[in-house]
Parts: sequence; structure tokens; C-alpha cells
Amino acid sequence: MNNRTWMSRSLAGTAVLMLGLTLAGCGGGGGDASSRPENELHLAVYGDASNKVEQAMVDKFNQTSDVKVVLDTIPGADYQTKLQTIIDTDSAPDIFFNWGGGSIANFVKADLLMPLDDLIEEDPQLKDAFLPSVFDTAVIDDKSYGIPMRGTQPVMLFNNSDVLKQAGIDAPPATWDDLLDDVEKLKAAGVTPIALGGADQWPTQMWFQYVFDRVAGEGLFQSALDGDTDVWDSEESREALGKLRELIDAGAFGTNFDSVKFTDGGSPTLLSSGRAGFELMGSWAYATHLDANPEFAENVLGYSEFPAIEGGKGDPANLAGNTNNFYSITKNTRYPEEAGEFLKLMYSDEFVQEQIAIGNLPTTTNTEEFLDEASNPEYAKYQFDLVKDAPHFQLSWDQAYPPEATVTIHTAVAQFFSGQIDEDGFIKAMQSL
Amino acid sequence: MTTLATRRQAGPGGSTPSRPARSGASSVGRPGFAWALPATIFFALFALVPLAAVAVLSFTSWSGLGDPEFVGLENWETLVTDPVMVKSLWLSLLFIVLGVVTQTPLSILLGVWAAGNQRNRAILSAIYFVPLLLSSAAISVLWRALLDPNFGIPGQLSWLFGDGNLLGTQSGAIGVLIFVGMWQFTPFHTLIYQGAAKGIPTVLYQAASIDGAGMVRQFFSITLPQLRNTAITSIILMVVGGLTTFETVLILTNGGPGTDTTITAFYMYQEAFQSFDFGVGSAIALVLVVVATLISLVVVKVSGYDKMNSSLEGL
Repeated sequence: MNNRTWMSRSLAGTAVLMLGLTLAGCGGGGGDASSRPENELHLAVYGDASNKVEQAMVDKFNQTSDVKVVLDTIPGADYQTKLQTIIDTDSAPDIFFNWGGGSIANFVKADLLMPLDDLIEEDPQLKDAFLPSVFDTAVIDDKSYGIPMRGTQPVMLFNNSDVLKQAGIDAPPATWDDLLDDVEKLKAAGVTPIALGGADQWPTQMWFQYVFDRVAGEGLFQSALDGDTDVWDSEESREALGKLRELIDAGAFGTNFDSVKFTDGGSPTLLSSGRAGFELMGSWAYATHLDANPEFAENVLGYSEFPAIEGGKGDPANLAGNTNNFYSITKNTRYPEEAGEFLKLMYSDEFVQEQIAIGNLPTTTNTEEFLDEASNPEYAKYQFDLVKDAPHFQLSWDQAYPPEATVTIHTAVAQFFSGQIDEDGFIKAMQSL
Repeated sequence: MTTLATRRQAGPGGSTPSRPARSGASSVGRPGFAWALPATIFFALFALVPLAAVAVLSFTSWSGLGDPEFVGLENWETLVTDPVMVKSLWLSLLFIVLGVVTQTPLSILLGVWAAGNQRNRAILSAIYFVPLLLSSAAISVLWRALLDPNFGIPGQLSWLFGDGNLLGTQSGAIGVLIFVGMWQFTPFHTLIYQGAAKGIPTVLYQAASIDGAGMVRQFFSITLPQLRNTAITSIILMVVGGLTTFETVLILTNGGPGTDTTITAFYMYQEAFQSFDFGVGSAIALVLVVVATLISLVVVKVSGYDKMNSSLEGL
């Protein structure tokens, strides 16, 4: 056999192989209920410490059900990417963890999710048992797509009470002017007034979502989200940016915040070591400090609401942050009824107690009864009341928008804080979404 | 890309020109094309097929949901006018140049030194090679912690680093990335130069000594010219490595501050896997393929690597 025959044969073989692969690659997409496993419901969740409660719920459900729920935990950092990759294939989960809002908007648009309104009509508790400000995060086009699970995570202004005392500050700032005064006092005392993990970018964004809400009210962001990008150029928007600029220019965050991270313990340590007075952070900050420095978390760490802004249109009781996480059901599920049954566990007393025991704060109306069982009942109660009384709970900007907007938002907020872009630059970036 | 680079890199080892097959000897028992079949299939499966798929994807809009939708040249039009894309290419080029300029002299010196017979040489060499054993991710996390402005090295040496905002300024962030790249990859290139330096015949040095040449003269007149082929291999590897630097950027700077360290490879990841825009991501990937190929070709042409002969010829 000479080389030429070999060459043509092997090339033909390669071509066939490639064609086969290409065809196989096109096989995905869609699928229907009958192609899914029998007597199994797959539940995909963000893999972390909360999984033990979820496993307990699954075990409880499986004791009485013929259709068994299988818990698939996906490592946290890869969760959204992995979900996006499988949700349109035969391997899609039946029920999955998400953040509501923009994190599921594309799935709704692609008609992959099951509206839960029929289930809610049968069992109104699926809606009524949850705090409304939280439940509404997973409502898209007036249809409900998610049931809250896990805990709520409002963003609060944390402080080092020792540092505040030394700088002559008696109480956390109630208004924006108080905050500016405190910044001056803390600077005079030789500490960074506010710790900020600017390298992570999302902590910087927290300042924007609160100041915009306080100055312009929740309507501005909602309009922008609905497609009216002109609102970014409105008077209120410019006023909010002006407030932020004023705070940055006052030196509130020091000069090296762009090199500091929250995720590697940088900014929390600034606060706990007494080198900063305040830090704006999600409610998980308590657990973070408790883990790194229990003494500080229990005795020194203080917390308050984001200050009111005088003359602003937003209600000072409004919150921003992660309202909660949600379970949504995919349309192709083989067992919609059983999936609905499983969701009912999310408002059971047992679920609430187990969540509280691991430090989460569920958002059901019966949560209140069990707050005394929390590891820090005072903190849990404070947080729960904030969420319960909030007229509006703004989901973090980067999660309210679909995932493709995240990079643009994060870059814009970081560049505005470091002075790389001005008001016009920020407005232009947000209008491009 | 890697395959291409690896094949090039294999050059020096097999650089003795293969004897022409038609030298009259019988071809019986000689390797035919069949011998290359497994490698060919692998190459097709893992390089050509994905490359073709990426080329197709670059003309579509696809978020990972549903079927890709053909949009013609839209992604390419976006990229041409995208300031971040243009900036990222310049940054990549800067990374390559700075990487080569900082790593080459150091690894030549270390490599030549390590090829000698000094006392404690083996121990010190072993220490130099430690960074090579760590993964890029581990190295990045390590330096990230060491460079914390308040609790890391800058906080202790404020007379040198000022407020420690190293990763918060463009020059600082680029400096850190180049430094970490140097820390990580110099050992590898040192290893290559060490091997090459050991291969230089000692008769050359003996002759030079007799002629009265000192250490420095020997280094510039014998060692460096003899390392020429090795240097080109090493530089090509640095170029390809610089172009595909990714983990260090992701972990140390996340492309920031702003987009100041968003090099092309990172921008591709950002568009495809953070913004779920696989169309634009694929287009960037293709640009990267073209740029890398061009740079490799230029290096090969300029250096005369393609018609290079053994440096030992005539000995």
C-alpha cells in the first residue's frame, strides 16, 4: 500500500469523524418531558455551606414521595456559567437556584421556565407566606417564576464602634450630611473613614444602588431596567452622581481602595483592625467577621441603615442588596406537580428553623417566631425588621440586569470612583446597556 | 495555537535536516503516513474542529441559550469600533515586549551560571525552580495577598510604595503583572538556557583562554552566539505565553483598574463567559489566533529560524 492511498483514506476518515461530531453537537436544545429520567427530579443549587439544609429538605421530601429529588450541588463560582450551559439541554435541572430578576430574565424570554401562578392559585401560601418585597423579585411580566429559599441579604452600613467613639462620633449617621461630618472626624482621627473593597467592584456598586435609590426613588432604576435609558441623564441621576463625587472627593475611601478586596479579607480587616470607621456591606459581613475575629463581631461591630438623603425622593426605609435566592421550575420538567409539592417545604417551620440555625434569615412571615433561636438574635431581629418594613427592596444592580450587563456596570462604577470617567462617562456607559 | 507552538519548539532537537527520502534507499519498513494518523486525528479533533466552530460562531449572536443566530459581520463591526478591543491588542503587545525584555537577560545570566560547576549551584538552582512548580492561579493568589496595600508588603514599606495602590493604577498593575510573570517563568527559560549552555563545547573556551580572552569576552564572543538558537526558541515561547496570559490577569487585576489591564485573552473570556456573548468572544479568539500566527511568522522570518543551521557546524 503506498502513501497516497493512506493519505486519502485517512483524510476521508477524519472528514467523516468531524461530520459525525458536528451532527452530534447539534443534537442538544429543547427536548421534552418524555426524554427526562423517570421518577427523578433534579435540583441544581449553588454549592456552599447552605447545602446541608437543602439536603435535609430533599431527604424529608423523598421519605413520602415516589418521585425522588436528586440534589446537584454546583461549585459556587461556576454556578451561573454552568446553569446557562445546561438549561437549554436534556441535562437541564427540573428545579434550580437563582437570584430572581435579571438572572432568570433570559430564561423567561427563551420560554424555558414554568410560571408558578397556577400552583399559587392552588396553594396561596406559596405566595402569601413570604414577605412581598422579597417575593416580587422573581416576578417577571406579572407572572411569578420563583419561590424564595435560603436567606435575605440586605446591605447595611457596618461600623467599628471603638473607632467611632475615639473620633467623637456618638451614633451612626442618620443623614448624608452626618456621614460627611463623620468622614471629616474620622480623617482627623487618622483613619480611613470608609473601608471599600474596590478591586472586587461589586462593593463599589453598593454605594451607587443606595444613593440612586435615596435621591431618585426606586422608579429611576426600574425605568432604566425597562429600557428607558434616558433616565440616566435625568436631573436626579446627575444629583446622585454629584453626591457620590462629593463623598469620594472628601477622601472618604482613602486613596488605595482600588487595590483592596473584600473577598480576600482586605476591607473587613481594615474595619476590624480599627484602621477604618465604616464599611457598606451585605448582611453576610457579620458572619465574615464572626469567622475571622469573633471577639470583634460580638462586641465592637456596629450596624445601621444607609443614611437618608435630605430632599431625596426615595424612602429612607428602602433597602438594596440580595433580596433572597429563589427556586424556579423549568418548563420541560416531567413532574411539575411534585416539583410544586417540593417548593411548599420552603415555608415550613422546619425549613425556617434549619435556615436560622446555620445563620441564614429566611423571608417567610413565620420567620419572626423563630428569631430567638438565631446565633445572634438581636442582629437577626434587626435585619428581619428592616426587610419586613422596607417599602422597596432593590435587587443589586448587577443581578437585576441580565448577566451580560455585569461587566459594563462593574467597570463603570469602578472607573467613576477612581476618577477615570466623570458623570457623563458613567451616564454613557449605563445608557449602552 | 499550542500545537503550533509545540511543533515549533520541537525544532532545535530535530533541527538536523532530515535526509531526503529519495536518496535511493528502499522505502520498505520506513514510516508511512499511517504513522501520523493518530496525531492527525487528534490535531483535527482538538484543534481544527474547534477552530472551525469558533470561526462559525463569530458570525452569530449566541448567549448559550437556544440556537446561535446568524448576524453576519455584526460582531466584527462591533470589534473594529470597540475601543477596548484596540486597547487590549496594544496591551497584549506591551505585555509581550516587556515580558521578553525582562525575562530574557535574567534567564540567560542565570542559565549560564547554573550550567557551571560552582559550589552550592545545585541547591540554589533547585530553589530558583520552585515557582515553576506552582500553578499560575496559586502564584496569583499568593502575590495578591503579598501586595495588599494595607497589610502586605506595601503597607510595611510605605517609603517605597507610598499609599500602596499598586493594583489600582495602570502603571502599577502592569508592573505587578510583568513582575509576577517574570517571577513565574524565568526559571523555565533559565532551564532551557542551562541545557544549551552545557552543550557548548569546552574546547571553545579553552582556545579562547589560550588567546587571552577574559570571562566577559568569553561570554559575549562564545556563549551568547552559541545560545542564539535557544534564545529564539525561548522568545517564541515567551511571545505565545504573553499573548495567552490569562489567570494572573483574572486573579490579580480582573482586567482593571477599569480596562487598563484588559489584554486580548482576558477580554475574550470576559465577553464569552462573563457577558455570555459567545459571538463576540469567538471573534476575539480568531483575532488572537491571527495575531499569534503573524507574530510567530515574523519572529521566525526576522531571526532566520526557518533556515537555521546547527551552531556547531564546522566543529
